[in-house]
Amino acid sequence: MSASTIIFYIVSALVLVFGAMSVFTRKIFRAAIYLLFSLIGIAGIYILMNMDFIAALQVLIYVGGIIVLIIFSIFLTHQAGDKLPKPLFKRIVAGASMAAFGLIVVLGVFYKTAFKVTTEAGIDHSARSIGRQMLDYHHHGYVYPFEIVSFLLLAALVGCIVIAVKIQKK
Amino acid sequence: MEQVPLAHLLILSSALFFLGIYGFFTRRNMITMLMSVELILNSVNINFIAFNKYLFPNQLEGIFFTLFIIAVAAAEVSLAIAIIINLFRKFNTVDVEEVDTMKF
Amino acid sequence: MINESIIIMRFEWLISLMIVVLFILNLMGVDKKPERFMNIVNVMLIINFVAGFIPIKDGYLFQGFYHTTALIVLEKNILNLGLLLIAFSAKQWIIESKRPAEFFMLMFSSVLGMYVMLSSGHILVLYLGLELSSLPLAALAAFNTDSRKSSEAGVKYILSSAFSTGITLFGISLLYGAVGNLGFDAIIQHIHEDALTLTAFVFILAGFSFKMSIVPFHMWTADVFEGAPTPVTNYLAVVSKGSVIFIFITVLYTVFGKLENAWLLAISVLSVMSMTVGNIFALRQQNLKRFLAFSSIAQVGFVLVGIAGASNMGTDSVVYFLVIYLLSNIALFSIVEAISDETGKVTISDYKGLYKSNPFYAIIFTVALFSLAGVPPTAGFFGKLFLLTSGMGSGMYVLLGFATINLVLSLYTYLRVVKAMFIDKEEERMPIIKKSLLTNFVLAVCLIGIIVLGFAGVFYQYIDSISSQL
Repeated sequence: MSASTIIFYIVSALVLVFGAMSVFTRKIFRAAIYLLFSLIGIAGIYILMNMDFIAALQVLIYVGGIIVLIIFSIFLTHQAGDKLPKPLFKRIVAGASMAAFGLIVVLGVFYKTAFKVTTEAGIDHSARSIGRQMLDYHHHGYVYPFEIVSFLLLAALVGCIVIAVKIQKK
Repeated sequence: MEQVPLAHLLILSSALFFLGIYGFFTRRNMITMLMSVELILNSVNINFIAFNKYLFPNQLEGIFFTLFIIAVAAAEVSLAIAIIINLFRKFNTVDVEEVDTMKF
Repeated sequence: MINESIIIMRFEWLISLMIVVLFILNLMGVDKKPERFMNIVNVMLIINFVAGFIPIKDGYLFQGFYHTTALIVLEKNILNLGLLLIAFSAKQWIIESKRPAEFFMLMFSSVLGMYVMLSSGHILVLYLGLELSSLPLAALAAFNTDSRKSSEAGVKYILSSAFSTGITLFGISLLYGAVGNLGFDAIIQHIHEDALTLTAFVFILAGFSFKMSIVPFHMWTADVFEGAPTPVTNYLAVVSKGSVIFIFITVLYTVFGKLENAWLLAISVLSVMSMTVGNIFALRQQNLKRFLAFSSIAQVGFVLVGIAGASNMGTDSVVYFLVIYLLSNIALFSIVEAISDETGKVTISDYKGLYKSNPFYAIIFTVALFSLAGVPPTAGFFGKLFLLTSGMGSGMYVLLGFATINLVLSLYTYLRVVKAMFIDKEEERMPIIKKSLLTNFVLAVCLIGIIVLGFAGVFYQYIDSISSQL
């Protein structure tokens, strides 16, 4: 076992533990912070897989954007240190059995499937080559989905404004 | 990193996915439900990246899918939070069990 | 190359242009005068609708990300018709909402998403189109920011939509692991029936079932339909649901075509559950919007019977049925909207004696309900007949038996409303509703469509001719 492998197992254990804590804790602000740690851990896993660009985006958007947004919304809607009410018992039973059953099925399927893992280096996945392919029109470039996403962001922007702005009544 | 088998990454991602599912069903607070959805999306991202790196390294399809998922997730969360805060102004709570003006 | 792309992607270009025009009009302050603004928008919508009929040749763009065929053009035209009629019938409400420009920006973005989705040749584009069509709808459902019900509907829609997208994406990621390339053509080539692919399919099917509100993934439907403003409900029930069903057929028949043995049973079970639960729950509803929500769940269950046929006839009958479903539902919702705008009444008991006070509305309401129930002179009868005939091809006779039982059950459900309008004594008399020209136009179009489409075999033959070319 090399050092990076050991780090991988530590980080993924942290990701799972913090993910679980963010789902189970009854303090809402802590839930957000645990989620933050979990997402940072996932960025760490991307770095260990040499996916630097994705890791950077993960930190920028998930950690720097989405979590901050969630924390803001928590402060706007809760007193800090508020305790969440207990989940309903029937929901715990239903959710836990569904999740456990699904997990067993999916893991069983993974176990049965023979993935053909290749060890070849593959093509360059640095930010430069991702950017080139993203805006490429000819060689299987992703310019069309890119344009759709721009419309999606525009629509989300308009939607947020519509909901947030108060209508001026005459 | 080559020593880590693909299966272990998949175990990590599916465990995260079903944690998210469990959270979505049991949580009563809308913001924490949204956080469970984030866990689900992150597990999907790990899947895409892992498959891309281990099985199909000659193309960037999984990476691109992840990029677009991240972009859409940001838009979705911002809109969801706008709606939730608007709802909070009306109901003074974000608990799904207490927000029920509509009944059978 | 550029010219070609403009011609082939005409639908998308036009609607994007309309969004930009709306921004400019908004900047110029034209939407401060809502009447004038609405006229401009209506002209744009008519241009958009008419331009849809200019012939277009089939083609691929962006190395297969985008493709178009005669069938896809027809489906887009059907969506355009729905958009046009809904915008016409909602004119009064939109003017009163004070924010017409924003309303149409969101609605056009959502339609753009549907076009993108229908023309997609790659799962990534399909996913983005699905998101682009549903995100603005969440904002539209919460559009009435003063209403508690409306914001509740918005929250329920966006949470269930985000969750269902997450599930679909997990399925897509497994499919990627199994196949290695997510272009439709590549999937068709490489897909074969193994455990991983089947698991992926189950997750994708669950996500789609959420979007189409198939039982057991229907929990959000009734609340969102009731809480959202009526034009938005109309749009959700008709255009949004229709577009998802269109793309679902494509995905099922072409992309997962090789897994037919596996999905046939799943589709049949979902179909039986949707029909039964939809009809039984519709029986106990008092609120008409909730009633129509459960009725739409039952109708989607019926559409699945046709899809189970898994043949050319499946596509034909579903497209044909959806046109009739669209016209009937738009007629129903337009009347519900006209009456609730004027009087605020939306329950079935409020509609008692509607025939005496507003005979015109009562008659059209009845015809539309009969069409949904599948009573013979209306087009709905032929729609259901074709769906059943198509379902016959699957050889699932239990499914057909359930469909027939539900046909009778749904007749009873719909007749309850008809009885209230024609026979029951009213408690308080409904005022005579002031008729607006545009609403009457919409109702007339729907009425003519419901009656004529049943007898005009030309339309069905046309669908058949273009779908058999594929």
